[in-house]
Amino acid sequence: MLFSLRELVQWLGFATFELFLHLAALLAFSVFVALRVDLLTTVSWWLVFVPLFAADGLSTYFTAIVSIRLYQEGEERLAVLRLLWVLTVLSLKLVCEVLLCQKLAEQTRDPLFGLIVSPLFVLLQLLMIRACRVN
Amino acid sequence: MSMSLAQRVLLTWIFSLIFLIMLVLKLDDKIHWNWFLVFLPVWTFDTILLLMLIVKMAGRCKPGFDPRNAGDNLKKRVWYLVAILLKLAFSLLLCARLQDLTNIWLSFICIPLWALLIGAMVELGYNVFHF
Repeated sequence: MLFSLRELVQWLGFATFELFLHLAALLAFSVFVALRVDLLTTVSWWLVFVPLFAADGLSTYFTAIVSIRLYQEGEERLAVLRLLWVLTVLSLKLVCEVLLCQKLAEQTRDPLFGLIVSPLFVLLQLLMIRACRVN
Repeated sequence: MSMSLAQRVLLTWIFSLIFLIMLVLKLDDKIHWNWFLVFLPVWTFDTILLLMLIVKMAGRCKPGFDPRNAGDNLKKRVWYLVAILLKLAFSLLLCARLQDLTNIWLSFICIPLWALLIGAMVELGYNVFHF
């Protein structure tokens, strides 16, 4: 729409298959959230977040495989850069998910949403810097 | 697309940042605005996308338009139009529910979002498994 797939892959640093995986996880997560809110109100929020955690785990696994292959083919710099970037993005996403899940599960005032979303603010800055490099 | 990648990234980035800030302030009870007002960056961004798409589609009516490959392009643009409308429908329903204007189930509110995600997955899946 606003970006072509090639631009998205370049900007976000994820392969097309990984983007597909995260979209599928988001779909499953939204279904689980709707079910949890409407019907299964006693189910743990940690279970609802399982698709997102699974997508993060699988994405890390694929990135590790791709980086090892790149390293074996002599592209050491590319392998390390890709591994560092994807692990940074995934860890920031995971921190945000875990904090949000904890807040929903325990129904407490702390941590504030400002703190929960702070990894996303860092991620936005990193994405802006990366966009300048890609361009 | 006539805008450069940097301009498009900046546009997306600014609206995402403003929306996130307003969302956090509202969720932490620092501001007591209407939910429709909190979603203002989303409405603005969607309107810009919609206008850009309509201008592109209107370009087909120009006298010098080359009709080669136009069928595929038109299909794509119609899908993008549907996608923006689905996103708008989801945001509107969600706002209405958060503002207590309606009490419909979240499952019904999520239907446009699910349609959008399935459509995006089909498009991405086609790219993954056919090329």
